[in-house]
Amino acid sequence: MGLQMLINAILLGGLYALMGIGFSLQWGISGIINLSYGAMVILGSYISLIAFDLLSMDPFISLILSGAILFIMGILIYRSLLQPLLKGGIVFTLIITFAIRLIIENIMLLIWSADYRTIRLAYAGSNFQFGNAFIPLTKFLSFILAIVIIYVVYLFMNNSKIGKGIQAVALDKEGAQAVGIDVQKMYMINFALGTALAGIAGSLWASIYSFSPHLLGIIVGKVFIIAILGGLGNIWGAAAGGLALGLAETSGATFLGSEWQEAIGMIIMVIVLLVRPHGLIGKKFFG
Amino acid sequence: MLAKNNNYNRNILLIIAVAVVVFIFLPSILSGYYVRIFTAIFMYATISQGMNLMFGYMGYLPFGNAMFFGIGAYITAILMGKGFPFIAAIPFAALTAVVVSIILGFPVLRLRGHYFAIATIGMSGAILSIAQNATDITGGAMGTTLPIIAKAPGIVYNYFYLAMLGLMVVTTLAIYFIVHSRFGYAVRSIKANEEAANSMGINTTFYKISTWAISAFFTSLAGALYAYWMSFIAPDEVFNVMIAVHTIVIMLIGGAGTVLGPIIGAFIIEFVSEVTWGGFMEYHLAALGIATIIIVFFVPRGVVGTLTDMVKGIKIALNKKVGVSND
Repeated sequence: MGLQMLINAILLGGLYALMGIGFSLQWGISGIINLSYGAMVILGSYISLIAFDLLSMDPFISLILSGAILFIMGILIYRSLLQPLLKGGIVFTLIITFAIRLIIENIMLLIWSADYRTIRLAYAGSNFQFGNAFIPLTKFLSFILAIVIIYVVYLFMNNSKIGKGIQAVALDKEGAQAVGIDVQKMYMINFALGTALAGIAGSLWASIYSFSPHLLGIIVGKVFIIAILGGLGNIWGAAAGGLALGLAETSGATFLGSEWQEAIGMIIMVIVLLVRPHGLIGKKFFG
Repeated sequence: MLAKNNNYNRNILLIIAVAVVVFIFLPSILSGYYVRIFTAIFMYATISQGMNLMFGYMGYLPFGNAMFFGIGAYITAILMGKGFPFIAAIPFAALTAVVVSIILGFPVLRLRGHYFAIATIGMSGAILSIAQNATDITGGAMGTTLPIIAKAPGIVYNYFYLAMLGLMVVTTLAIYFIVHSRFGYAVRSIKANEEAANSMGINTTFYKISTWAISAFFTSLAGALYAYWMSFIAPDEVFNVMIAVHTIVIMLIGGAGTVLGPIIGAFIIEFVSEVTWGGFMEYHLAALGIATIIIVFFVPRGVVGTLTDMVKGIKIALNKKVGVSND
């Protein structure tokens, strides 16, 4: 029981970590609280569903497609709607991204209705044993992929020229501008990277769970908690936040009952906000 | 200049008084459908005033303010379920909301800007979960019913119309007097510069918590009336973050930091919503989203703010002309 719960928590946490990183990067570096993030995650799920229905493409492959489509969408949204409003402060980004969420949600409801959809993979039922715990194959695969993608994002941020540029902008906007970095371009790439990660997380989500437009709000709630737990704009922080949320939710569901799952996350977030506003392992300069 | 201002204010007060009288007698010529729409407008205007006091005047965005609406609704429902009359339940509903806002306010109002907004969302979510799961008290996620008034529907709807209108007028007057008092100057100094206000000797913690309590007070009254009006409430409906979002949009459209802004915004948004609901219901969400984007882009200071700017601009232009001709 104990081992099974721990494994479930870690497998869930890996997916949460990937989901939270994009949101955390957008908030911490581009200064945008993206309330449409949940819509982008579920959009990734629907893209995988289309790919599966039409091309019988596995979600673990079509995540490339979701990532690419949402990356372009992120660039368009940033250039047309967000960049002109950044001067107005973070509150305006809250309102605009919520409006974007409403529009995406409406389009989803029109095309796919409010019903829950599932991608039925041939190997969805298979699992393997580890000690006396069972590990479902799809959950294991998405966990591994999530970790790999997080590591790739980390390498990109620390080794590529653009990634270093984004970090420089996050550290000191004026200073970065002074040495010739295109600040708006960095913000845009960072934002689009965030939406791409949302889409990829959505594809992985679709390989395990069913999804519908009802999940938009719940997902935004979760990524808020993860980003706050980890500290904004911090990749490993968000990863740790995702694992922590997975652990808290799984153990909370075991000991208190699954109906308290969301309340537990919310309460943890408020406490962390009050006690350590820059996150559990966050460094102050990113906030 | 002062005399002119007084004159200007007196004119506005006169217009408002006439408007209130007109609205009192309006239900006798309106159909039940419009009476309901107007009642909803008054309700949203009231909640939006609470938002306006917090954000428009103090600069703190309480994204989770729907929790006070829900608390007001649920305390009323629970007490009336135990046999209390509505009038006796209202003070308890308001008191609970005020006490909750003070208890939560001490820790949360230490946070600034978006951190405060997010913390209130978290608390709102937590209270929603409690309302959904404390089935013995609240009736759980399925919702709970309130006693129905044993009178003809027309009379009942008129009763709630007048009650909501009264609440909106009282709230607006209260906001007006608060904003123009010593208290209001302290509140506005927090928006301008909290550190400076603090170092001038203003007890910012006291003002922030009191302001949130006032906001919670009026929001919970709207919730109490709503519960009795609908005679059925469910947790995910009255604690819905969408209520807060709706009122934020209303406040921005009307003009944040203006006394009449929320009322004007409520009229605009509710009529737009009604038209989109009636005309093309399936696109209702997208229409609201697009309307929001247009507002934020083209009238970021709201209708009242933009009009005030225009009046000021005309006045300055006129003064300049007069100055030139005097030379």
